[in-house]
Amino acid sequence: MNRNNRADYLGHIVFILAILLGVPALLGFDGFELNTFARYLSLAIVASALALSWGTAGILNLGQAATFGIGAYVMAMHLKLVASAGNPDGLPDFMGWNNVTSLPWFWLPFQSLTVTLILGLALPALLAWAMGIFMFRARITGVFVAIITLAFLVALQLWFIEEQRFTGGQNGLTGLAPLDLFGWSVDTYSLGFYYLVAGCLIAALVIGSLIVRSKVGLVLRAIREDSQRVRYFGYDVARYETFVFSTSAAIAGWAGMLYALVLEFASPTYIGVAFSLAIVIWVAVGGRESLVGAAVGAILVNLAEGRLSDMFVESWLLILGVMFILFVLFLPRGLYGLLRQGFGRIARLREGQGPKDARAQESAQ
Amino acid sequence: MNLMQIHNLTVQFGGLRAVNDLSLDVRRGELLCLLGPNGAGKSTTLDLICGKTRATSGQIVFEGQDITWLKEYKRARCGIGRKFQVPSVFRELTVLENIELARSRNPGILDSLRVFRTPIRGRVREVLQIVGLIDMVDTRAGNLSHGQTQWLEIAMLLAQDSKLILMDEPTAGMTIQETLQTAAIFNSLKGDHTIIVVEHDMQFVRQVAERVIVMNQGSLLAEGTIAGIEADPRVKAVYLGH
Repeated sequence: MNRNNRADYLGHIVFILAILLGVPALLGFDGFELNTFARYLSLAIVASALALSWGTAGILNLGQAATFGIGAYVMAMHLKLVASAGNPDGLPDFMGWNNVTSLPWFWLPFQSLTVTLILGLALPALLAWAMGIFMFRARITGVFVAIITLAFLVALQLWFIEEQRFTGGQNGLTGLAPLDLFGWSVDTYSLGFYYLVAGCLIAALVIGSLIVRSKVGLVLRAIREDSQRVRYFGYDVARYETFVFSTSAAIAGWAGMLYALVLEFASPTYIGVAFSLAIVIWVAVGGRESLVGAAVGAILVNLAEGRLSDMFVESWLLILGVMFILFVLFLPRGLYGLLRQGFGRIARLREGQGPKDARAQESAQ
Repeated sequence: MNLMQIHNLTVQFGGLRAVNDLSLDVRRGELLCLLGPNGAGKSTTLDLICGKTRATSGQIVFEGQDITWLKEYKRARCGIGRKFQVPSVFRELTVLENIELARSRNPGILDSLRVFRTPIRGRVREVLQIVGLIDMVDTRAGNLSHGQTQWLEIAMLLAQDSKLILMDEPTAGMTIQETLQTAAIFNSLKGDHTIIVVEHDMQFVRQVAERVIVMNQGSLLAEGTIAGIEADPRVKAVYLGH
């Protein structure tokens, strides 16, 4: 374990302690505040999912909101069915308004919570896998991946809005039942729910970190640098890329399920371009090279958004925009890059190297 | 015994036949040098063998298997390794990470998911000692000197442990001493590994080559020992005379 990793581990521990103990204490265990912060944490999950594919393998998925949205809809469909259990045929209300007489076949699996939880991960993963095979076998890289995923996102959103009979259209899915999680009736304004989301975030970070720190992460970083060279060592580059793309999609779907729980509805705006680009911004602010950095970025930007919009009702978007521009201009590696630079400098000073030498090494990095 | 046979290999880029009806046998354990003037098709021949370029016609048989249409990663899994003209280590990775990447006996995802660290012992230690980078395992490859970068790439080839190693000008930019050291490494590799080298440095070729092939305009011009080649009037006319 080298020095930089030690700093990383320290950062992870501080982060985990902060969200498990610090945040609930600071918020005074207030249900409303905890619910708001649980929303930030679910967004932190999707941000770290993007960092997994973008930061590690260089795959910029501008359609990350698509898989997130699918997760949200999957969860909402289950809760809608539970809420509609008293209706004739268990038919959701909006279907009746749209002259649908019986429950469509693809809604049936969502009556079971277990199937719902599995599909919330599996559907985004399968979709990403299919896209990944198509893109990465054809050796599509860089900006073209970004364009294809963005186009897919737009098409998916249009389709969800268009198929109002089955998806609730522009209104999305509202009037959901509270989740009954294997006997535990989930109150989204409780400390228990906050810890459910925090636990999911930590689990997602652990899974992501295991991938990044394994040899798979090494191969992916090498692919980011020179994918052709990696092939001459015998690695099936397309398969590695598809793997990380699908894993990232599954984690995004997971985040989407939690998000639908927090907000108690699913809306086509979750599958929107604006939301998808927002994820990219959070990751850029936090630092795409670190999963925890991306999570912190999502939490901080959303916190800032909440506070700024309270303080500057008219101009908060402008202030936020200027902040992002400053970040991209002066901190291209995000907060994580800044911290890493700081740690590196302290460690070198401790070793007694001259500051000149340290600067030379830094500029080389 | 032959490790690889090339039958009537041709590749056409537009109107140019970069390699034209080339047939060649590569014997197991030998060190074969490819010589020839610029544009003779030497590097293209290596590209065709490792899969960077697809042949227009002809056949490449490696250990009895037709690999002409295999993808490059599958050829690498068959045991074909390639070193490029421009040093192509991964600059963002450390020396040790570069070596771990090259150790690709099990290149599948499920295998890679179980590897978390590279112990510096056994073959890894040996390889790092051969190239003199044992004290620099945590250095980013981008911070190495030009010579060290070349050494790292050779170490990666050793760690990859390919049956057939294709080298494109391995001594380019090296000092005389480094060239001699490289020659020594090559001589120690002969026998266990089969090596094909494209090289311009005749002094280096004299040190290592057993069999030399001279190419001109995509075709085989002459074949033989280094002494025989240097005496060949046709070779003198197109290449060595310059």
